[in-house]
Amino acid sequence: MKTAADKPFLKVRYSYLERQFAEIDPILEQIRALVKSGDFTLGKPVVEFEERFASLLGAKYGVGVGSGTDALFLSLKALGIGPGDEVITAANTFVATAGAIETTGAKVVFVDCDEKSVIDVSKIEAAVTPRTKALLPVHWAGQPAAMPKIMELAGRLGLPVVEDACQAIDAAIDGKRCGTFGISGGFSLHPLKNLNVWGDGGVIITDSEKTRDTLRLLRNHGMSTRDTYAFYAFNSRLDSLQAVVGNHLIKDTQWITDTRIKNAQRLDAALSKLTGKVTLSPRSPRERHVYHLYQFFVEDRDALLAFLKARGVDAKVHYPVPLPFQPASKHLGHKPGDFPVTESQARRTITLPVHQHLTEAELAHMIFCVEDFYS
Amino acid sequence: MKVPYVDFSGQYAAERGGLLRELDRVMGQGEYILGRDVEDFEKKFARLCRVRHAVGVANATDALTLALKAVGVRPGDEVITAPNSFIASAGAIAQAGAIPVFVDVKPDQLMDPSKLQRALTRRTKAILPVHLTGKVCDMEAIVRFARRRKLKVVEDAAQAVGALRGGRAAGSFGDAACFSFHPLKNLNAAGDAGAVVTNDAAVAEKLRLLRNHGLVSRNEVAFWGYNSRLDTLQAAILGYRLKGLAGVTAARRRNAAAYRKGLAGVVECPSDEKGSRDAYHLFVIQADRRDDLRAFLKARGISTAVHYPTPIHLQPAARSLGGKAGDFPECERQSRRILSLPIHQYLQPRQLAHVIASIKEFYR
Repeated sequence: MKTAADKPFLKVRYSYLERQFAEIDPILEQIRALVKSGDFTLGKPVVEFEERFASLLGAKYGVGVGSGTDALFLSLKALGIGPGDEVITAANTFVATAGAIETTGAKVVFVDCDEKSVIDVSKIEAAVTPRTKALLPVHWAGQPAAMPKIMELAGRLGLPVVEDACQAIDAAIDGKRCGTFGISGGFSLHPLKNLNVWGDGGVIITDSEKTRDTLRLLRNHGMSTRDTYAFYAFNSRLDSLQAVVGNHLIKDTQWITDTRIKNAQRLDAALSKLTGKVTLSPRSPRERHVYHLYQFFVEDRDALLAFLKARGVDAKVHYPVPLPFQPASKHLGHKPGDFPVTESQARRTITLPVHQHLTEAELAHMIFCVEDFYS
Repeated sequence: MKVPYVDFSGQYAAERGGLLRELDRVMGQGEYILGRDVEDFEKKFARLCRVRHAVGVANATDALTLALKAVGVRPGDEVITAPNSFIASAGAIAQAGAIPVFVDVKPDQLMDPSKLQRALTRRTKAILPVHLTGKVCDMEAIVRFARRRKLKVVEDAAQAVGALRGGRAAGSFGDAACFSFHPLKNLNAAGDAGAVVTNDAAVAEKLRLLRNHGLVSRNEVAFWGYNSRLDTLQAAILGYRLKGLAGVTAARRRNAAAYRKGLAGVVECPSDEKGSRDAYHLFVIQADRRDDLRAFLKARGISTAVHYPTPIHLQPAARSLGGKAGDFPECERQSRRILSLPIHQYLQPRQLAHVIASIKEFYR
């Protein structure tokens, strides 16, 4: 009988950058032109990329910044958030979401997630205090947060919403893109993101001209002209060089997203048969989940992880220790049980490669390995 | 004859081939965040600055903010700096939550140590001297003052890569020092990039966490930090260009010497002291009728710049600190007289001669 161990040499890697940039010459050619022009700082490629990115998502304006973290940080700064304020976000996110809040001087207030791993809207109101200044929902893994409900609640509470769409380029609800619901949406162009550049990069989208103008000052030393500084600000610019790469890849976004969704559907179809062993998040046809991560839940997670790793499958855990229980959160005083869904998912979550460069053989191998583990 | 202020096409012609090969190599590795190229560059750069540790970050502004935090500057503290720097020096202090306090400069544009005492308060936590133009401040006096009062010293060496004072390297005097590799700098990346250097292992470790979300490992967050990493790609470019830095500095110093000789008795040129090696990121003359001179040079194809026409204490950003005209007379006097001449390493002798002849003609 054939077992997974018979094919130990098929490696399914998480990173695909070598494959993605195997045809590097067209990009190098454009970089050659950039190097010659010396237009390295907020140059023409950045303006082009900002316009393309905004129009891809149906937003009015894009502002290129240094990273996804800064996209969130500067969005909060543009709202005037700082010491003494509180910002509500999901407990099951990447460190940068909470870091962006805390480094403005504000306090991060965590709210548990739901079975789709996005903020549980029913628990937000209980976390609101007079110091709450904004809501920062996260489109975790590419799964849209429940934005219509969140916007309704925010409207009632009079709170602005900044979307953490770092993992959710091209995700949508009923055709409306993530990042366009709130006052602004922050995106990451980190090398492992669905739309990626050759280093750190980020972008903020907004429909507000005022927010756009404030963000442009915030990212560039508060410089209103070369010699006038409106306020003390930051240096957080999307490099022209990275914008060249972004402009090259943005044409592929539709294909990248569609391929990831197709891969995820293939995995869903196979894994949903392992009833009682594997739990998938509920999928909604109205929501476009773009699968930055393909995540599912199992009881014997560490055993499955080791099993897959031994068979060359680069499975990962995003993340084993939720932020409220990190040393960085000590001052918040959380205890086990405060975030039951987040904590349960952290014990059971596992992610598989789902990227657009997976081959049919690699997908089949991963499915085979998970089935083999449970057979 | 055209004399551009910067000449990227000159740099491109010199590096053509080599640089793109380097990009091809790095991109082929599939490692785009931190990793070996960043570590290699950090080691080489620390050696250049003659210090133990270098930590690559996203840009020099972040280098300053993170360095101030790493040496212990907290919200409400005061940090003393110079008012004639680029906005980022004071901006970084403000972003660390501290208050920038300015002291006037000497005729050579550098922080005047004799003014420190008057700026000192109970809240003073650190001094941030700026090695403006690539000339190292009087660090012996500044560090002596700081040590006696248990203040930290963070050098703003953004313009001073490769500079020496009394045989000691820019960046090796203070508790930490910050460098810029912005495209216009002597050692330049193809985008924003910077580094902090220090001899203090604990400060270096703190910086490594601060620049990368406070992540001790993939799954452990020690404290809330930033995302401010030196891109792997930029580190590779910097590693490649580091080999040529001595040549760049030497060429800029030759150009400076030519200006000094040609302009003696015409305008005030920066002096070059024995035992020091100014890096000449900028060559700033101090001249009467500056704006007229600038227009005159422009009409003759010569691009110049003013670094900077409005001192920081007179910027809208500093309004809340109550700065007013007359606070720093030397800095304000210079702001009306300073003019940066082209000094880059691709200048041709005939271009230098044209600049010198044109300035002489203006004052004839």
